[in-house]
Amino acid sequence: MRLLVVEDDKNLNRQIVTALEHAGYAVDKAFDGEDGGFLGETEPYDAIILDLGLPKVDGVAVLNAWRRAGVKAPVIILTARDRWSDKVQGFDSGADDYVTKPFHMEELLARIRAVLRRSTGHASSEIVCGAVRLDTRSGRVAVGDNPVKLTSHEYRLLSYLMHHAGRIVSRAELTEHLYDQDFDRDSNTIEVFVGRLRKKLGVDLIQTVRGLGYLIEPARE
Amino acid sequence: MPAARVLAGRSIAIRLAASALFWSLLILLTAGLILSALYRDTTERAFDTRLLVYATDLASDLVTQGNPDQRELGTLGDPRFDLPLSGWYWQVGQPDARPRDLRSSRSLFGAELPGLVPPGDDSHFGEIRKGYRQGPEDRMLRLVERDIDLGEDGRYVVRVAGPADEIGAEVRRFIFSLTVTFGLLGIALGLTTLLQIRFGLGPLTKLRSALSAVRRGEAERIPGDYPRDIAPLAQELNLLLDTNREILDRARTQVGNLAHALKTPLSVIVNEVGTAPDEVAARVREQARIMRDQVNYHLDRARAAALAGTLGTITEAEPVVAGLVRTFERIYRDKGAAIAAAIPAGTRFRGERQDLEEMIGNLIDNACKWAAGRIEISADTVRENERAWLRILIDDDGPGLPEEARAEVLKRGQRLDETKPGSGLGLSIVRDLAALYRGTLTFERSPLGGLRAVLELPGDAG
Repeated sequence: MRLLVVEDDKNLNRQIVTALEHAGYAVDKAFDGEDGGFLGETEPYDAIILDLGLPKVDGVAVLNAWRRAGVKAPVIILTARDRWSDKVQGFDSGADDYVTKPFHMEELLARIRAVLRRSTGHASSEIVCGAVRLDTRSGRVAVGDNPVKLTSHEYRLLSYLMHHAGRIVSRAELTEHLYDQDFDRDSNTIEVFVGRLRKKLGVDLIQTVRGLGYLIEPARE
Repeated sequence: MPAARVLAGRSIAIRLAASALFWSLLILLTAGLILSALYRDTTERAFDTRLLVYATDLASDLVTQGNPDQRELGTLGDPRFDLPLSGWYWQVGQPDARPRDLRSSRSLFGAELPGLVPPGDDSHFGEIRKGYRQGPEDRMLRLVERDIDLGEDGRYVVRVAGPADEIGAEVRRFIFSLTVTFGLLGIALGLTTLLQIRFGLGPLTKLRSALSAVRRGEAERIPGDYPRDIAPLAQELNLLLDTNREILDRARTQVGNLAHALKTPLSVIVNEVGTAPDEVAARVREQARIMRDQVNYHLDRARAAALAGTLGTITEAEPVVAGLVRTFERIYRDKGAAIAAAIPAGTRFRGERQDLEEMIGNLIDNACKWAAGRIEISADTVRENERAWLRILIDDDGPGLPEEARAEVLKRGQRLDETKPGSGLGLSIVRDLAALYRGTLTFERSPLGGLRAVLELPGDAG
């Protein structure tokens, strides 16, 4: 899962990015409306955290521009403006959630999980595919009753595939969604991680669709 | 003059009236004095003329009848000269002759008229002399005296006198009617002055009521045309009002900016401490929470302070509620609450849109927190004593609130359930904002089973 954080306060930006990376997301950051607007429009993010009081271009204007350009990624507005009129305006501009400063990081993380879940059509914080269970809240993975220890890259890969279970995910898409901008993208690494994941999980969960990418079958109820 | 200073402090009307009164009295008094003096003079002269006519008569009798000894001097056709001590006397004589030859009217009754010049004084010879002298019975007489030179027959002096109180009586009659006339004139002047003051000070009264309308928040500026004298005053007042509003705006913006600027560092502090379990972290979290609440509270106060002067605006309620419902459906979508709003078109709030949003927003938020699944918002306009009230009902199907707890929730920072998120300021903000609009927030039992919040605000029936 790849996220974008647009926040002009350096300290807060660092804190959010650190917390998100710690939670297993690939994170890009921007410090003003211009850069943030450009990144949001050109990169395929899974969710965006957007401050409203931004230098150069105002957050609401950035959000409006994204929605006009067809950016579908869920956007969480992060702002000090907490009047209901501001919130109404934010939601009407196309925001998916609204977090007011000062906030607790846990709250922000919970809201991000919620919008990601909603955008991929999952109702609960736990995603189950076959014998594999992934708890998005705690970041824990288990096969049957046995917990599996994964590195953050492995977790991201599994999480993305499980969130999009039932759909073939190409290698290019995985690269775009698993790594932040600055990462040296080499498609071979994806194959390496998939190989390691298969070994660790020990079950036949991730299928390779030749020439197209990878697929996880959705849970059968 | 201390009296003037006392008056000056009171009112312009009194000042104008006092100075008008003073000058009117002074002018009337002076005019009265001058007029009565002139009249006395005229009356005196007319009286003298009459006396002189008699004196001329006597003189011509004296001259035309040959021997002065046999001269029969007449009664001058006036019976008063025959009436003893009537006050009307004549006397003809040779002051230098020895023995003295003296003839006089019968009215003199043997008494003698005093002369206007001492005997032997020739300095006024030939002149017609006039004056007042004490006559018989100590009566004041007006006396006219002329000399007749009959050559070898010698020099005669003719004196005619009349009662001086006739002049006095006439002058007094005149002064009486003058006083009556001037008194009426004075009263008329006073009434005119009062009318003038009322009319003249009218624009000031208008200005005052316009200004108090501004203070009450019914108008933003002082409207209308004023006479040239106080138009600059009205203009200056408008400029002052503008400046005041600007200062208020700036102060409000600054408080807002400050509050918003504080929130980002507060977020940083809160997140830096994170969920560390030690005591210091707990204290920092606690203090940060207090700071946040304070910032929010003062931000709301600053917004509320700007209310005065914005009472003229009118907000349509329906779009406000619709926007809030959209927002809350998103915020609480995981909860699956059904929010239904029935706001008749044309339901209007007499106030700022943001304030209405803030009040209804907080109430819906509260309802959403407690509701089991249904929230209903309705509104209507109630007429009461010429005034329209907008009544908004927000119902939920939650656990409701016992009657004794309803007053508690309106207290600042009061949270009946610490497990629900929120600062505990929401409902007290609604109450404070409503109070600023002279509205009310009350709670009832909802027909849905939970709590019904009743928000009554100034409406617009037009």
